[in-house]
Amino acid sequence: MAARKRTSATTAAGTDTKPSPPQTQETNTQIDPPISPPKKGIILKFCIFFSIPYFYLLYQHYKIEEDLKRSILVNAALSVAGFFVTLRMIPVASRYVLKRGLFGFDINKKGTHEGTVKVPESLGIVVGIVFLVLAILFQYFNFTADSNWLVEYNAALASICFMILLGFVDDVLDVPWRVKLILPSIAALPLLMAYAGNTTIIIPKPLVSYVGQEVLDLGWVYKLYMGLLAVFCTNSINIHAGLNGLEVGQTVVIASAILIHNLMQIGASSDPEYKQAHAFSIYLVQPLLATSLALLSYNWYPSSVFVGDTYTYFAGMTMAVVGILGHYSETLLIFFLPQVLNFLLSLPQLSGYVKCPRHRLPRFNPETGLLTGTRDGTLVNFYLRIFGPKSEKLLCIHLLLVQVDQEG
Amino acid sequence: MAARKRASATTATDTKPSPPQTQTTTTQIEPPIAPPKKGLIFKFCCFFSIPYFYLLFQHYKIERDLKRSILINAALSIAGFFLTQRMIPVASRYVLKRGLFGFDINKKGTPQGAIKVPESLGIVVGIVFLVLAILFQYFNFTADSNWLVEYNAALASICFMILLGFVDDVLDVPWRVKLLLPSFAALPLLMAYAGHTTIIIPKPLVFYIGQEVLDLGWVYKLYMGLLAVFCTNSINIHAGLNGLEVGQTVVIASAILIHNLMQIGVSSDPEYKQAHAFSIYLVQPLLATSLALLSFNWYPSSVFVGDTYTYFAGMTMAVVGILGHYSETLLIFFLPQVLNFLLSLPQLSGYVKCPRHRLPRFNPETGLLTGTQDGTLVNFYLRIFGPKSEKSLCIHLLLVQALGCCFCFMLRYFLAGWYK
Repeated sequence: MAARKRTSATTAAGTDTKPSPPQTQETNTQIDPPISPPKKGIILKFCIFFSIPYFYLLYQHYKIEEDLKRSILVNAALSVAGFFVTLRMIPVASRYVLKRGLFGFDINKKGTHEGTVKVPESLGIVVGIVFLVLAILFQYFNFTADSNWLVEYNAALASICFMILLGFVDDVLDVPWRVKLILPSIAALPLLMAYAGNTTIIIPKPLVSYVGQEVLDLGWVYKLYMGLLAVFCTNSINIHAGLNGLEVGQTVVIASAILIHNLMQIGASSDPEYKQAHAFSIYLVQPLLATSLALLSYNWYPSSVFVGDTYTYFAGMTMAVVGILGHYSETLLIFFLPQVLNFLLSLPQLSGYVKCPRHRLPRFNPETGLLTGTRDGTLVNFYLRIFGPKSEKLLCIHLLLVQVDQEG
Repeated sequence: MAARKRASATTATDTKPSPPQTQTTTTQIEPPIAPPKKGLIFKFCCFFSIPYFYLLFQHYKIERDLKRSILINAALSIAGFFLTQRMIPVASRYVLKRGLFGFDINKKGTPQGAIKVPESLGIVVGIVFLVLAILFQYFNFTADSNWLVEYNAALASICFMILLGFVDDVLDVPWRVKLLLPSFAALPLLMAYAGHTTIIIPKPLVFYIGQEVLDLGWVYKLYMGLLAVFCTNSINIHAGLNGLEVGQTVVIASAILIHNLMQIGVSSDPEYKQAHAFSIYLVQPLLATSLALLSFNWYPSSVFVGDTYTYFAGMTMAVVGILGHYSETLLIFFLPQVLNFLLSLPQLSGYVKCPRHRLPRFNPETGLLTGTQDGTLVNFYLRIFGPKSEKSLCIHLLLVQALGCCFCFMLRYFLAGWYK
């Protein structure tokens, strides 16, 4: 649950944060944008750092076919273009979003001056739309596509598009949380329908003697598992949130890990179908990574924009889709280990066993500027309780490093 | 341009979204919108089912498999009708809470003109339609991989259009962007289109052009993109009366359905029949969910449909026309929309001054609408036939639409053999 829900009518809190009439909000000129400029430095640092393993694996360490290498690079170029488009469009969209009253106040800055700034919400819609355009256009450049690939690709696009739609509808209409839980299952339907791969799993060797066979065909249970994976990925990112840059940051870390994993699997394998599956994943993860980086440049501490459920649902669904169609969903779940931990910590409150407040954020002290862990069951609070109070930025960096550590 | 834009920040009207608290009650006992007009829908269904079942069962001999797929799709669509009808009042509460509403400009000066009417209920239709269309894949036993590619690309296009339409309803994007949105949404379709890019030259023109069949290549794809832009925006501007947007969609969709059944019946080419069946599988859910919306949107409107609906409907019809390979016939069904577009050109191009709304003038005392000098089919009709009540005018215009479709059928009948 994103910590910075706009104060909607569903909260009974007598807060003073109501969407005010739009006229007082912004000027009609386009000269002064209402949000701060993007933090390009951090993005540049990340890109330089990440491009080292990326290009090394792609060119040096493995011998990858020309065709495949070219498709990957074309996709990368498209993604870079998408980065700049997203970077350009976020300030534009912010004006419209503020005009419409879609904003929130930064709860982790309450009591300071920044706590009174109206931060535009749901900027995930920009990322989603640019991603879709990139993914649609890429089909034209993929010369190694066969009809089976096209079916899966279009089903993936339909699923991701449907998820962005449902995420945005949720951001605007604020649907009840029970409905939020099943939305991803509905969005995953095109994927489940089009999935033509095997529904078998390989039994881990130590368990073969108990199960009796090496390979087990799960049939429809596998499809159920796929549906649940989609629900899990989307909602787990949604609840591991609340700090500036945490939602986008964790997505960037996981997406980078996925990309490295895909490249390694392509390099180490000789089975063309296996390589195609991982290439498929690359073609969707590169645009995800690029557009997310553009959003991160605005969302990193201190956040100029909030991402909304639109973004967390979109990111979670995209990663579930590539994990399913790339046939590496178990590896994906391992990348999601902090999210799994957070989910387990959250279970008592989510199930209602323990009282669950509207926001389960740490407590902010305006004087010291530090966050202190409460007794809520989230990884954020758990980390603070173990390692002591931290500033928001430092805590976010720590949690992202934990995520990186898990990828290794 | 939908006449009932919520009073957004761009208009200097006195109709601002008020704080949500005063808007709704927290109980679910009394819905804030009037009950659906089931009688009208029932009458339409009785009327329409006559030609439908006659063509499907009696007049033509259609294969069992195909007939079964069509009927399963019809059953799914009926379920969708009831689901949509159930969800619209629920969604209306959320939409009102969020400040997405408008005032009925054609009732200004009367008590109904002060009611906050929930906007953008097209989102309910869109979502239910997508779920129906996605689920139907499971029931289509005659699907091959080429069909699946086109079907999923169609779903992606329609879904993207619903998304962009809803974003437009919420954020109120500038009209130049609105024109481009359908081209983006049509991209999956253009990418996946694996059919011919050839057109059959009408026999009389073969002499001038020199060949019977002309391969247009990328120009055909450009035409497809423009068709999507046209269908969506033309429904959007032929609007402004209670029930007009949904009503015209229902009429055109019914005509499309009849056309598809007829083409399946007279043809013996399996690929040709598949193309028209494909169209049926998307038009039946469109028709059913639109009827559910119409039951609330018909005069007097309890809900407004928003650009979400007009874009969704236009895109779906463009998609079926393209993938069913009958886009010329589709354009003839769209004749009133074409006429409206031509009438609107001077104002849309800026040659003549274009006001925010180009609605007829409403007289609260007589309750009649009078045509203004604006270039729309609505005003044009009023100027010729004199002032009318809103409901009467809408019925007239829908009859004009239906007559246009009948004219198309007659045209195809008389020109068959001579034309193609």
